[in-house]
Amino acid sequence: MERFPDTIDGIDRAIFLPLDGKKALWGERNSMSDKCITKVLIVGGGTAGWMTAAALSETLKGLALDIRLVESEAIGTVGVGESTIPHIRHFNTRLGINEADFLSRTQATFKLGIEFRDWGRLGDSYIHPFGAYGADPAAHEVELFHHLWTRAGAPESLEAWSLPVAMARRERFTHPSTDPASPLSGFSYAYQFDASLYAAYLRRYSEARGVVRTEGRIADVALHGETGFVTHVTLESGERIDADLVIDCSGFRGLVIEQAMKTGYHDWTRWLPCDRAVALPCEHGGLFPPATRATALKAGWAWRIPLQHRVGNGHVYCSAFLDDDAAETALMDQLEGAALAPPNRLRFLTGKRKLQWNRNCVAIGLASGFLEPLESTSIHLIQAAIGYLLDLFPTGDWDPSDAAEFNQTMDMEYERIRDFLVLHYHATTRDDSEFWNHCRTMTIPDSLAWKMELFRERGVVAAYEHGVFLHPSWVAVYVGQHVTPRRWDPRLDDLDPAAVRADLEGQRRRIAGLAERQPRHADVLGAARAAVMAEARA
Amino acid sequence: MIQPDLIRNVVIVGGGTAGWMAAAALSRLIANGVTSVTLVESDTIGTVGVGEATIPPIRTFNEMLGLDERAFLQATRGSYKLAIEFVDWTRPGHTYQHPFGPFGADINAVKFHQFWLKMHREGRAAEFGDYNLCGVAARLNRFGALPPQHRSPLTPMSWAYHFDAARYARFLRDHAETRGVVRQEGKVVSVEQRPEDGFIDAIVLDDGRRVEGELFIDCTGFRGLLIEQALKAGFEDWSHWLPCDRAVAVQCLNDNAISPFTRSTAREAGWQWRIPLQHRVGTGYVYSSAHISDDQAADTVMANLDGKPVTDPRILSFRAGRRRKAWVKNCVALGLASGFLEPLESTSIHLIQAGITKLLALFPHRGFDPVAIDEYNRLTNVQIEQIRDFIILHYHANERTGLDLWDHVRTMAIPDSLQHKLDLFRGAGRFFRHEDELFAESSWMAVLIGQNVMPQRYDPLVDSIPEADVARAMEELRTTIRAAAESLPDHADFLARHCAAPEPESVPA
Repeated sequence: MERFPDTIDGIDRAIFLPLDGKKALWGERNSMSDKCITKVLIVGGGTAGWMTAAALSETLKGLALDIRLVESEAIGTVGVGESTIPHIRHFNTRLGINEADFLSRTQATFKLGIEFRDWGRLGDSYIHPFGAYGADPAAHEVELFHHLWTRAGAPESLEAWSLPVAMARRERFTHPSTDPASPLSGFSYAYQFDASLYAAYLRRYSEARGVVRTEGRIADVALHGETGFVTHVTLESGERIDADLVIDCSGFRGLVIEQAMKTGYHDWTRWLPCDRAVALPCEHGGLFPPATRATALKAGWAWRIPLQHRVGNGHVYCSAFLDDDAAETALMDQLEGAALAPPNRLRFLTGKRKLQWNRNCVAIGLASGFLEPLESTSIHLIQAAIGYLLDLFPTGDWDPSDAAEFNQTMDMEYERIRDFLVLHYHATTRDDSEFWNHCRTMTIPDSLAWKMELFRERGVVAAYEHGVFLHPSWVAVYVGQHVTPRRWDPRLDDLDPAAVRADLEGQRRRIAGLAERQPRHADVLGAARAAVMAEARA
Repeated sequence: MIQPDLIRNVVIVGGGTAGWMAAAALSRLIANGVTSVTLVESDTIGTVGVGEATIPPIRTFNEMLGLDERAFLQATRGSYKLAIEFVDWTRPGHTYQHPFGPFGADINAVKFHQFWLKMHREGRAAEFGDYNLCGVAARLNRFGALPPQHRSPLTPMSWAYHFDAARYARFLRDHAETRGVVRQEGKVVSVEQRPEDGFIDAIVLDDGRRVEGELFIDCTGFRGLLIEQALKAGFEDWSHWLPCDRAVAVQCLNDNAISPFTRSTAREAGWQWRIPLQHRVGTGYVYSSAHISDDQAADTVMANLDGKPVTDPRILSFRAGRRRKAWVKNCVALGLASGFLEPLESTSIHLIQAGITKLLALFPHRGFDPVAIDEYNRLTNVQIEQIRDFIILHYHANERTGLDLWDHVRTMAIPDSLQHKLDLFRGAGRFFRHEDELFAESSWMAVLIGQNVMPQRYDPLVDSIPEADVARAMEELRTTIRAAAESLPDHADFLARHCAAPEPESVPA
């Protein structure tokens, strides 16, 4: 789980053995019986399919698995620009991917947070940063910072005390320091990249590690008469592919998990009513912040994801309040440069599959459920599922407690992200459209209602360990959308407000000065490109 | 500017460890110029005050108060603790440790214990405990701090303390009184509640004094004078899972080394603790009164002492379980007033500390908003249930056949939450820590493997790494840990040099 400051859990004491080019010296195999998983079938390419293929082929390379991926070029992937959260770096690190190489091959940019415009009310702008507030990352009781800020009378926007925000606003970027005493250690970062280039990158990576790709469409999924397990699939070409474990990355339709297995779906549109999107890339208008932008519109919101070579744009909206043509017009009206492709229209249903692991099928990506990309969680959900699948990789006798654990954990991931997204829609004073009137007044999940009440009443962020968004993220959105605590922590009552204000002012200046001294985001990317080219020449 | 509806007076009822820990922590509120903190206790009501063992988070609590570690150990005659040694729990003649800190190091993002399970099956692994620094140091009676090392499989040492709980309370009393906490001597005879909503207005003492408060902290021990007798919070009984209901405690001289670990020895109808302090050893037998008489229990303890006894055996009664709500209206129960779990994993003081930390984070105002109270109770309940499951595991996973108590706990139905953990582990050695569970994976591994709960198979990812490489990495870990432990000073020498109590304890002849 993500923790600030920027450390990758346990990496300092983890052992990484070089495995390349070695064959396992087989000892006695795990199982007393011969029930072993040997054939893994991944249904569908795209981001989910190739991330899964890459992770399995690298992590399980000593198991001599037969990993096949079936995809059809006739079925397009969504492939728009994609924005991520810092966890993606753990994924890349685990695959041994070099950052500079990755940046150049996927046209990626750095990301320090998301700017939310017009959400709490028209004219607002706040950034949800990847980092805690305050100038001293090593400070005790860092969770009290926003109370101090309240205590000082909220002298200006809370984000003035966030180094990643200060850098993002200035279009600057630097890598966080690994020295916990450094003022540059209290934040983390992610990437924005071209998802189809990333999938292509991981395809090369996977194929080099023995994954066999088969071009074709699946005509039939055969289930075992008694157990209901998938035994094989048949392609339109007539080819039959046997499988012990099937990973369904076929997108919304869930070719195996839903169409063959009828797993069922929990519909969450009563809380997250947007059900369509239109997306297209355009030429760069010149702004280069290390941040994604999400602008609230009349019946949804628009994203802006700056890549190196172009800008990804999209409009997520609710068809009950806005028709497709009007949505497309709204998007086209705000493009900063010439469109580089025709608009791509998408439909979806927010929610999740009732079981993400059903019998011998594990659904990953859109086949497992959909949450709109407002907080850039799509790739994270893929990554989380892959991580739990590896943690619980089936043993051949399909212990039901493994699937139960997987489903329980993924349900929790989904529900906590859902609540965090609902917060963005619900915590608003906007009354300029029916859509916002609906969101502002709808009944929200109980699991969110008490969290909001606790923050409003006390400034306390409800405690839990798991769940991708931790303390600083909730504070950023609450405060950014005017869920203002009625009181500060009583431990601060003995502080002199003037002294607190002076201290905060000093911190604010230090942060601003520090941000000002960091290199420009575009220059950091340029240096990475130059390094890759120099290496290529050498 | 001060928030207008600040609590003006906090009344802590009961001294002892819980009361004075609360007083010391809440004393910081006094600086706001509005809040007063009063502690009412009676010298005629004794506290349990035996040696007490703790777990590493106690250091965070002491740091929060700004206590100096060595002054604290001097004042409390304390010693360091790196592990608990469990003797005869798995079966007679068997010993394992639950040490602090991790076992080994993950290899290519697969858990260390999974590799150990494979190599153990093939007879190529050392004892599981040989891969844990604290455990190895404890067995060698060593203690000291290792400098943090970058990119080394050695994590910094993790430790806790053994100390004299009565002296700790006294030490915290000085801290609290210096910061303005007012102590009142007296016995509570009645509790006055507001007729309209049942909130506590005041307590009345035996000499007629009335102590008013806006927030009451109930530290009155098992009986729960405020939380139960006045507010009827209710008690959830867990004795069907944890049948021990008595303890007999005694203190003795120590003729042996001051070991940096607690020992727990399984006995016929329960278990005996051994907590080494600088000047003596605290010991006691936790037992089920349905399976053994008080006299038999006392005889067992007296036959298993490290040296000459310095107190008479004292019998205590309790019931495992928790208050249904630890916070009701304007009363928060801490310590034994909020529930009881036997001290098998040294969690008593931790539960007090966790209660205080949550209370500070959710400290009420005069409006007492229910959302904060609900959150406090939710977190408290989750935490004590997680610890309960961990303690039940120790009893349930036993091979001590032919003894009534042990046959019962081995075959009884256990909580679903624990059953799920056991099923996952028995399958392929899987373990997942839920929410902010106190005991991490390494603790569960220590006890699961220590008590011979062996999975049917290990994680299939283990086979993806060449066995020779795994063997080499494991051997390197083992020798690195051994060398690091051997580089540390002797525990008793370390105490004598840095934390020795100023004057020798006078011993009754």
